Amino acid sequence: MELLALVLIPLLAGLLLLIVRPAKSARGMAMASTLLTLALVCWLWYGWNGGMTIGIAHDWVPAWGLRFVLGYGGIGLLMLVLTAVLFPFIIGTGYKQPVGDPSLVNALLLFCQAALFGVFLAQNALLFYIFFELTLVPIFFLLLKWGGEHKRAITIRFFLYTLLGGLALLFSIAYVTLQTPAPHSADFSALAALHLPMHVQLWLFWTLFLAFAIKMPIFPFHSWQPETYTMAPTQGTMVLSAVMGKMGLYGIILFLFAIVPEGAQHWSGWVIGLSLFGAIYAAVIAFRQDDFKRMVAYSSMSHFGLMCAALFTWNVYGISGTLFQTFAHGVLMVCLFYIVGAVALRTGGNDFGGMGGLKTRMPRFALLFMFVVGNAIALPLTQSFVGEWLIYNGLWEWNNWTALAGVVLIVLGAIYMLHAYQRVMLGPDRTIDVADADRGEHAFLVPLIVLFLFLGLFPNVVLRLVDGPVQHLLNTITTLP
Amino acid sequence: MSALILISVLGVVLLYLGLFEKKSWLAPVGIIGLLGAIALFATGWNIDHALLGGMVVFDRFSTGFNIGMAAITILIFLFGKDYYAREQRHVAEQYALMLFSLVGGFLLSSYTNLLMLFIGIEVLSIPLYVLAGAKKQHLRSNEASFKYFILGSFSTAFLLMGIALLYGGAGSFDLAVIGRHIAETGGANALLNFGLFFTVSGLAFKMGAVPFHFWKPDVYQGAPTLVTTFMATVVLMAATAGFYRFIDITGMPPTLERTMVLLVLATLLVGNVIALRQTNFKRLMAYSSIAHSGFLLLALLTDHGQAAGHGTAVGHTLLYYTFTYSLATTGLFILFTIAKRAYNGAEHNGIFQGLWAAKPWLALCALAMFLSLAGIPLTAGFIAKYQVFLLAIGAGWLKVMGFGVLMALLGIYYYIMVVREVFVRPEQPVAFTVAPLNWVVVSVCAVGVLVLGVWPGLV
Repeated sequence: MELLALVLIPLLAGLLLLIVRPAKSARGMAMASTLLTLALVCWLWYGWNGGMTIGIAHDWVPAWGLRFVLGYGGIGLLMLVLTAVLFPFIIGTGYKQPVGDPSLVNALLLFCQAALFGVFLAQNALLFYIFFELTLVPIFFLLLKWGGEHKRAITIRFFLYTLLGGLALLFSIAYVTLQTPAPHSADFSALAALHLPMHVQLWLFWTLFLAFAIKMPIFPFHSWQPETYTMAPTQGTMVLSAVMGKMGLYGIILFLFAIVPEGAQHWSGWVIGLSLFGAIYAAVIAFRQDDFKRMVAYSSMSHFGLMCAALFTWNVYGISGTLFQTFAHGVLMVCLFYIVGAVALRTGGNDFGGMGGLKTRMPRFALLFMFVVGNAIALPLTQSFVGEWLIYNGLWEWNNWTALAGVVLIVLGAIYMLHAYQRVMLGPDRTIDVADADRGEHAFLVPLIVLFLFLGLFPNVVLRLVDGPVQHLLNTITTLP
Repeated sequence: MSALILISVLGVVLLYLGLFEKKSWLAPVGIIGLLGAIALFATGWNIDHALLGGMVVFDRFSTGFNIGMAAITILIFLFGKDYYAREQRHVAEQYALMLFSLVGGFLLSSYTNLLMLFIGIEVLSIPLYVLAGAKKQHLRSNEASFKYFILGSFSTAFLLMGIALLYGGAGSFDLAVIGRHIAETGGANALLNFGLFFTVSGLAFKMGAVPFHFWKPDVYQGAPTLVTTFMATVVLMAATAGFYRFIDITGMPPTLERTMVLLVLATLLVGNVIALRQTNFKRLMAYSSIAHSGFLLLALLTDHGQAAGHGTAVGHTLLYYTFTYSLATTGLFILFTIAKRAYNGAEHNGIFQGLWAAKPWLALCALAMFLSLAGIPLTAGFIAKYQVFLLAIGAGWLKVMGFGVLMALLGIYYYIMVVREVFVRPEQPVAFTVAPLNWVVVSVCAVGVLVLGVWPGLV
């Protein structure tokens, strides 16, 4: 029941906002709803038995194997925690950086959260798909109404791009469902029991991968991403990069590793190559950007490439490292996009040209930013350090040369992040009158900084969640014929 | 049978009401009659009965389709109350013609004999030729009527030719006999093959499949919106049902299958690609209807006749698909009429601008219906498309389906373009006047596609 509540609370709160349309208390109500779901997720975490928990199972359309099954294992729980932790901050961004009619914005964000919880809870492939597509509808309106320049064209492009992946996914789901024995079932448990012939796995891998590769995005399916991230209102960008991109990684584990393991193994070299190439490519482009937000967008893509590559290394370091890094990346992206928004508010744009020398005007803000930069370039004691360390171990085990590519990425990451910091904060003082970080901004950034330092010191808190599932995953894979 | 008689008599009654100038009675009397017909059909549910020496069989499939068509006609009549409010002359005739056309639809969903197919198609079409030209003073309406008539006559000629050839090959008009004959000869008989080909062309014309689609955009655009709605919904349902009956009973020999694959590919491609560039909403809906015909044909392609056994699943899919498509289309055409009035008769896609600002509920309804046509989850359109996916993949048409998936993506594009307009706020607020009855019908359609999307078992 509590699993259904997790989907229903944000949904109903969003509907309430739409109907009542409170002018002043909209953000407060949305915040209350996200805190409630956070508490619920913490409770789930507390009561987690270490295995798979199915909360609800109802038939929906038996003829196609569509069942309403909600449940979670360790990996799902990690994603739920990520969503629940980040959404209060995403809603909270609206206090300092409002975009428009607060009840409408927050209602859309809450709908998005409801659909995301659905995605991470669904234990039936078709149900997963339904939630997967529903996440798009609120974000579509968010971008369409409050996007920046060229919002109409970019939104449509984004929408179509992701739907292309979605339809490929639907096609694959229909195909695999029909392969299950007679009363067809699209439950993940039933699909995982399938042993598809190799020639099918070889093509099915790509139709499935396309959906998730576009979502993250992985080179060469990324061309929607920088524009969309740059144009979207800050809250929309946060949802897209910090949470929705994770659906791609989650989907890879859920679909590719379970349904087409041999296909995934066969193509893993290609995927790692593409991902790492994309990661380096994005890092180089990030360095050349003159737009702060676009630079962060490319850095996000670079991180996704690294995570996806590590996922396909098929060893415990790579996979747990990626899962840990999903969390770190989510926290990092919320911080970075918040900072981008805060700086843009003061200088009137995302352009690096209008920034520089802000440190003398806003020393406290610069300090907070420095912490976040430290996390972004994976300094020891930060959360990203743990994730990236595990990822490099994984890459090293797979092949020494891929680990070398990883090292190149560390250097490039440090270069573009520090370069960005330099262009925003250091240099000659622009005599513009800007205020230092106020109480609201401290209240936003300090908890996140504490969180990522804490998880950098005690990564086991999160790693324990994924230990069992990753071992289980690797066991099933190594016993393949 | 009683329902057929009831609707025919109802048409005549409406004509008399027109004669006595009881205009306000027309829609209510028509609706009561249609409800009666639905009740009559419903009582015959699960009882297969043959009529006219076995030339017409009412089974579950045809009953389902008949009830669906009658229900959509009721919605259209409700819309007619407001649509014909400002017209004084010849309103009764239009209602009556639609009912006569509906009788043709009933025959198409239940024939088992080629003669009945021919009569059904003619009864369906001839009123439509008149209806398309109902706006006598409008050039476009006349053009629509004329084009439809000429092209329709051509297709009838094709159909007759096909029927004659089939008769020549098999020696009977009965579909079952023809089916047996085809099975025996293994599809090697040239006479039968040509017969099948021409008959299918005639049917494909009614569905608007490429390359028999040229009438659709012009007729949809020129005909009065209410008639367009009727054509896009009831007529499409009837044509689909007629097609299904033909394929299901005679079976699908390999030659026909190859033709059908080409038909599917061409229809999906042309319908979706040309729809991308449409700026006139009615033409957009015409091409989108062609595109949907492509998906319907894809479902038909998987039917290998009653002998193969899974024809019922195809029949069910077709009914679900066409009914939910009709619901969404009816609602959208009503919204289109409302918007057209607000913009002084303009018909481009931009007339939906300002709907969200002025009438949020109607905008949400429009959103639901567009998403349903596009096939986004939790709407009926998604379920319908997914059923087609399952059928096609189950029958092994993987590549054709892959192509269909790409085309579905294009479909989403042009619907989303209109959805985008709905939520644009124009510089000056636009006043949309909505008759209460229209509001109800639109809401019914929108809620209908959502409810059927969540509980697809209801159809």
